[in-house]
Amino acid sequence: MSQFVFKMPDLGEGTVEAEIVAWHTKPGDAVDEDQVIVEVMTDKAAVEVPAPVSGRVVSITGEPGDKVAVGSPLIVFELAAAAVESSAPAATVPSPVQAPSQAPAPAGASAAAATAPRTGRVMTSPANRRRAREAGIDLASIAGSGPGGRILRGDLVAAGGELRAAAGHVSAETSVVRSLVAGPGVSRTVGGTASGEVTEIKVIGLRRLIAERMSEAKRTIPHFAYVEEVDISELESLRAHLNGTLPKGAPTLSYLPFVVLALTRALESFPQCNVRYDAAREVLVRHRAVHVGVATQTPDGLKVPVVRNAQALSLWELGAEIRRVAERARSNKSTRDELVGSTITVTSLGKLGGIASTPVINAPEVAIIGLNKAVERPVVHQGAIAVRRIMNLSSSFDHRFVDGYDAAAMIQLLKDLLEHPAMIFIPKVNSP
Amino acid sequence: MANMNMIQALNSAMDIMLGRDPSVVLLGEDIGYFGGVFRATEGLQRKYGEHRVLDTPIAEGGIVAAAIGMGVNGLRPVAEIQFADYIYPGIDQIASELARLRYRSAGEFFAPVTIRTPCGGGIRGGQTHSQSPEAIFTHVSGLKVVMPSNPHDAKGLLITSIEDDDPVIFFEPKRLYNGPFDGDPNKPAVPWSAHPKGQVNEGYYTVPLGKADVVRRGAQVTVVTYGTMVFVALAAAAALGLDAEIIDLRSLVPLDVDTICTSVKKTGRCVVAHEATRFGGFGAEILALLQEQCFWDLEAPIQRVAGWDTPYPHAFEWEYFPGQERVKKALSLVMEAA
Repeated sequence: MSQFVFKMPDLGEGTVEAEIVAWHTKPGDAVDEDQVIVEVMTDKAAVEVPAPVSGRVVSITGEPGDKVAVGSPLIVFELAAAAVESSAPAATVPSPVQAPSQAPAPAGASAAAATAPRTGRVMTSPANRRRAREAGIDLASIAGSGPGGRILRGDLVAAGGELRAAAGHVSAETSVVRSLVAGPGVSRTVGGTASGEVTEIKVIGLRRLIAERMSEAKRTIPHFAYVEEVDISELESLRAHLNGTLPKGAPTLSYLPFVVLALTRALESFPQCNVRYDAAREVLVRHRAVHVGVATQTPDGLKVPVVRNAQALSLWELGAEIRRVAERARSNKSTRDELVGSTITVTSLGKLGGIASTPVINAPEVAIIGLNKAVERPVVHQGAIAVRRIMNLSSSFDHRFVDGYDAAAMIQLLKDLLEHPAMIFIPKVNSP
Repeated sequence: MANMNMIQALNSAMDIMLGRDPSVVLLGEDIGYFGGVFRATEGLQRKYGEHRVLDTPIAEGGIVAAAIGMGVNGLRPVAEIQFADYIYPGIDQIASELARLRYRSAGEFFAPVTIRTPCGGGIRGGQTHSQSPEAIFTHVSGLKVVMPSNPHDAKGLLITSIEDDDPVIFFEPKRLYNGPFDGDPNKPAVPWSAHPKGQVNEGYYTVPLGKADVVRRGAQVTVVTYGTMVFVALAAAAALGLDAEIIDLRSLVPLDVDTICTSVKKTGRCVVAHEATRFGGFGAEILALLQEQCFWDLEAPIQRVAGWDTPYPHAFEWEYFPGQERVKKALSLVMEAA
């Protein structure tokens, strides 16, 4: 029998391990080459890993939430040619992988106690496979107490699978467990009355990454928040005019490309805000290029795709690039490289932008610029009450490296550019 | 109703059909004057005449060929092949001509031939009088294949077969001619008169082809079987105290798929038992069917009980015959898996 051990591939610069988010295959499945077999999460991106060969899956390593080192066995295939002639029970075949379960003890622990670690595919009857499927139970997570580690019906029951009704159909009242897959997390609704029902959602994948990074940023970075009001009436007029020149149906410009463009201009004067902090070396790395992270809400959670070299892009190019990276992030198509390397981040909740917010810095950057909702307000303008379009900027700075004075001055420059948008497009004049 | 053994029941079926339908003729070796080596046609030549019940030369190919010719020209022949072991010279006529005639002529011609032939072992008949070649014929498209396990079914199925316009190979498990047999040769023989299925309606009746008989209802395991093995399976399940559902297929083609699958979906466990050799046997077809239709209901791998893959021996008949012990072992195996 010919087996192929597929190891966790190198998923991009400096990746040493990846977290398993979701398996798209299970032992016993036949997979075709290039078929997506597993979704993993590096420190930045969710990556869909395709099968390198066609064959039958013998065993998989790790469960959603487990981290697997690059180069360690991920999945074992029995190659297609061998699979056909093989009639020996798979479990008797020595598997090159002793699945190192980093997962906590499986459910049905009483059954687990008597059982050796399982190698190779899950062994159980077709009827139990169906019961497990109908109950949403992953058989790989259950220890079998039968001969050779076979999962018996009793093991399934212990793990929460329902007993099959006499007629061979699932009866509603015996079905106490239904697991649902919501986004990358796995939730499990534990039965009882509707009012007493709780849903447990495992913090894995992107959500765990977000949680870790948010905690880390808040724990290590002394945030300095600064909110300023910006009169964007002129900007709005320019934006409306530009959008009016577009053919019908073309994607219009939001405020975001204007703000990003203005930001690249402001950062020319405030390079201390366009920085990544290398904590290991205690070095602030100033970047000439401005790689702008665009905080993006996706069905899976917050992602920050990156618009590279924003300082070199025109307004229109920025608009298109922001749309492109955000869309790829939303549709889960971002490559890892598209999600790393930003030097400063912009966050906007659009119509949900509120009056002020306290954005969390996207470490190891040192600044984040938040856009609040643009609204028309009565303000004193040129000595009279006037209706002006006002948008607040809520920004956070790493107070270790950016002093309040500089932070405020940077935002004031940004405000000046946005209030007089022609300035954005006029090259900086060297002081005489 | 009358007590009949299977021979008498078959004789009654042919008697009735000879009387009801002037196109019915019988032909075969020693079936006329002598009344057949197993006496199945005893008295029929005397009653209906030499033009209705014909003795033939010892030439099975010729018997089948003559029957085809009679059938095409409007008769309804019932040919006897003295032992199923002797049927092979007739196979070319059966497979190449009889089975295909309707198809080859686009339905213009047909030959409603029934070929009766005693099959199976357990009678110290050795390798030339004990074979169960049914799978050879179930594999030939265009044939119907029948094997009763008791006098009542034998009569009704034979009448249906004679009336059927398609060719039917009608296997008669000869060990069951005189009584049900549970697989233990050391026990005294039990006559059909002591069994309910030995109570046979003396008149005309039919048993449909393609309808299996659930001879015992049960919930724990399904045994799919036919012919001699029906009673062996009943005894084996009873010995283990299992609540087994025993299905007597009665006709292999057409096959009662619904009854088989309904039962296996209910029990989730199945043993298939037949006397014939195992490799490429009819049981393999049942297993394939169950795999296709009942896979997700299976609690355990399906087991087959069959004859060994050797010619039927004379000296070791009871080692060869798949008796109760082998059925019990298979039942235990399917019950073990959970």
